[in-house]
Amino acid sequence: MRRKSSNSGAEAAATGIWPPAAKPAERFREGGKGDLLFLGAVVLLAAFGLVAVYSASSYNAEVQYGDAMFFFKKQLVGFVLGLAAMAAIAFFDYRKLQKFGLPALILSLVLLALVFVPGVGKSNYGATRWIGFGSFTIQPSEIAKYGFILFTAGYFAKDPARLRTFKGILPVLGAGLSICVLIMLEPNMSVTMCVGAIMVGMLFLGGITKKTLAFLCIPVIFLVPALIIAEPYRLKRLSAFMDPWASPQEEGYQLIQSLYALGNGNFFGTGLFRSRQKYRFLPFSESDFILSVIAEETGFIGVLALFFVIGFIVYRGMKIANACENFYGYMLAAGITLAFAVQSCLNALVVSGCIPPTGLPLPLISAGNTSLVVTMAGMGLVYAVSRHNGKRKFIGYTTK
Amino acid sequence: MIAAIAFLFCIFLGRFFYIQVIWEDELHYLALDQWTREIPVNAGRGQIVDRNGELLAGNRPQFSVYARASAVDDAEGSAHALADALHSSYEEIYRKLTDKSKSEIVIVRRAEKELVETIEKTEMKGVYYARNDARVYPHGALASQVIGFTAYDRSGTTGIEGYYNAYLAGENGEILYDTDLVGVDLKGATAAYLPATDGLNVKLTLDYRIQTVAEEVMGRALEEHDALAARAVVLDPNDFSVLAMVNLPSYDLNEIPRDDMDALNALSRNCLVSDVYEPGSTFKIVTAAADIEEYLRGNAKAFSPQHIFSSARTRTVDGTTIRCWSDHKNGKHSNETLAEALNNSCNPCFVDIALSLGKETFYDYLAAFRFGRATGVDFSGESIGMLLPESTLRDCDFARIGFGQSIAVTPLQLACAAASAVNGGYYYTPRLVSELYSDDGSVREKVRSSLVGRTVSEKASAMLSEMLEGVVRDGSGKHAYIEGYRVAGKTGTAQKYENGVIAQGKYVSSFVGYFPANAPRYLALVIVDEPQGTYYGSTVAAPCAKEIFEGIIDVMNIPPVEGSV
Repeated sequence: MRRKSSNSGAEAAATGIWPPAAKPAERFREGGKGDLLFLGAVVLLAAFGLVAVYSASSYNAEVQYGDAMFFFKKQLVGFVLGLAAMAAIAFFDYRKLQKFGLPALILSLVLLALVFVPGVGKSNYGATRWIGFGSFTIQPSEIAKYGFILFTAGYFAKDPARLRTFKGILPVLGAGLSICVLIMLEPNMSVTMCVGAIMVGMLFLGGITKKTLAFLCIPVIFLVPALIIAEPYRLKRLSAFMDPWASPQEEGYQLIQSLYALGNGNFFGTGLFRSRQKYRFLPFSESDFILSVIAEETGFIGVLALFFVIGFIVYRGMKIANACENFYGYMLAAGITLAFAVQSCLNALVVSGCIPPTGLPLPLISAGNTSLVVTMAGMGLVYAVSRHNGKRKFIGYTTK
Repeated sequence: MIAAIAFLFCIFLGRFFYIQVIWEDELHYLALDQWTREIPVNAGRGQIVDRNGELLAGNRPQFSVYARASAVDDAEGSAHALADALHSSYEEIYRKLTDKSKSEIVIVRRAEKELVETIEKTEMKGVYYARNDARVYPHGALASQVIGFTAYDRSGTTGIEGYYNAYLAGENGEILYDTDLVGVDLKGATAAYLPATDGLNVKLTLDYRIQTVAEEVMGRALEEHDALAARAVVLDPNDFSVLAMVNLPSYDLNEIPRDDMDALNALSRNCLVSDVYEPGSTFKIVTAAADIEEYLRGNAKAFSPQHIFSSARTRTVDGTTIRCWSDHKNGKHSNETLAEALNNSCNPCFVDIALSLGKETFYDYLAAFRFGRATGVDFSGESIGMLLPESTLRDCDFARIGFGQSIAVTPLQLACAAASAVNGGYYYTPRLVSELYSDDGSVREKVRSSLVGRTVSEKASAMLSEMLEGVVRDGSGKHAYIEGYRVAGKTGTAQKYENGVIAQGKYVSSFVGYFPANAPRYLALVIVDEPQGTYYGSTVAAPCAKEIFEGIIDVMNIPPVEGSV
């Protein structure tokens, strides 16, 4: 049932129902309470992230910075900023953003390009992914994801007929690929994959024809192996992921430490703040691998509960998109929710060793202010969409 | 879209379940290793004492001082304190305290207990102490080949230290500290303490007093005869417990010549167990025992004690002429009975016995007396001797075995065979250890004497013993005679072989004796290897046995037999 409704755009496009001849269904209601459960779940998750960041980082922070609260304080700043951004956007008429699609894309590309400007770009762990001055740094790829969503939603909302022709979707493909190329050059394979997935997902949600979809997917299948072969370190990581114990001190180290954390967690966990692996055994324990620490401290039960909340947010986000009575709001809410879902899934797949380790945060939870603020702002936007939705599910796209 | 995401959720949640609930055990086991650092807790090594509790091998408490650079908080202060206490270089210690490339580094191995106690009071962080006792041997060279020594890691290498190492060593424990990745102790974490189990003490059958007497006697003999080696084994014939084992020259166990491996190998070898020699005339005890037993059983081929052997000096076997050591002139070695043949140690008579009994019967006796097989003593490296196989044995070789040639035995084999021939015909497994006991004195394991089999009957044994008493009273063994103690025995003089040919002027003088003849309590085999000048067993070895017996009589305060003067 739900599946069908989420496909509604595609089906409508395929059968030529969308856009309706006239646009009687295109509606924008006065702002209501909106989906408070969705909002509550997002804030809850971010707040839990604060606790998790403190637990995972306190020891390392004490050793490295002499302040156990170092990462926690940073994250708290991000949390407060994120709340502020959420609040501001929640009561904002999101349709006004529609004009800012192209500027957002251009800003994203500029920020991504700045990474490669000496003195502005900052390197860490062999990749240049940050820009900033002094202790203030941002990660442009986190912003670019949302820049791309804003652009795509605005572009298609302006004329939904663009979804039906290859020429129509070409600008979106161009925008997506240029972002991907810039991120890949950093390099950051996983965020590239993430943006690629969001791009294909949004086109799908927008309702491109099945033929076009297939046409888009085929090159991807060939591109991934080509990219892996192009950069030898990816191949190493790939083999390390197959058998991490073959190189326990090098490529396999990260995954082994993550597995140790998971194993130590068992079913019920070691208890909050009682991770053993956070004592500097597990690298990036407060950021990309925070899920390992959560899994260790709260056990499999905790992982289930966490992904229940994440799943709930994704479900409500998609529901909000579906209930939206204007196409821009639909594309925006669906795109943002999709980005959140894709990133959460990829992170969980990495941490559990299903795919090779890559640098990708768990949204709302991992330490990292750019990601936290931008994700919370995005979630605020989804909430804003929900405020203008009707009480019942919108039936305009599924005229059955 | 929801379906695709739900599918992904299922994939990784399933994976999480597998890792966290099913794979968990193995991962946890692997992870444990990286979470802790160990400081060893060495078990105390058991002592070795003689049968009366005299300490032969013990421990002096010492400690190793370790540091874990990552846990040291005041490297300069600690280095100063350690350098002062240990009287060593500040720079060296400071370098070790700050060397974070190793998780643990030894500051000093084996520091005296008092030193470590003063260091411990300063409560330095990152500095640890582990017991690492030094092995000490209060009596230095005494019975050094029997006791053996330990390697640098305190595991027994040779002798009793080696053979009983599993019991002596105990089980090491450890203290496990929870640390972070680089080895820094975690705050508030309690160290897990796995206690060490101290080793068991070993009580030898050796008697320190008899060992001391025997070593003094053999030491004098070694010097007096300028011999290559002087050896002795003293047994209790009633259960074959070894009372003394002397191998000279010897070395001090507290100053082991570890730099010279060849010398150490030679000096630390217990030749009484590991080396073979041609026994010569002492072996006639076995031949005589076989003859008497067969005679008592009614074997017509055996000679009666009243039988008069041919007085000829030679016997010709297989075209080979075998001569007596004596020239048989002027009535020497004429008209001998078995007792007189023993007195005179007349070779042809024993050729007659061997040939008359035949290979099959005689080899049965050799087997019963355990020639060509191990005695089973609780000591590593026992040799089984060399016995020509019965099936291919030539008669001329067989004839020589009758008087102790063409056969090689270990001294322990010969001593045990002689003991069995005169103790009523009982053969036991010889032993060096009587029991293993813990520090609280409770006996954990007893090594009991075990009867392996019979060699001859009690009657045959008594008859033989009477004859051997005569050897000491009237015959070649008279230098071992002690008034009132009924010493019995048999001399032996064997020529040494080198590369298969007789080495001119090289002899092994030996004597196997015991007392009192009617109920033997102490049996000694004395061997002087390559004595210079006089070389007969009767003049070189027999006096040594006499002195050992006199020492035993003195130490054990044994009164003379009633009726004697």
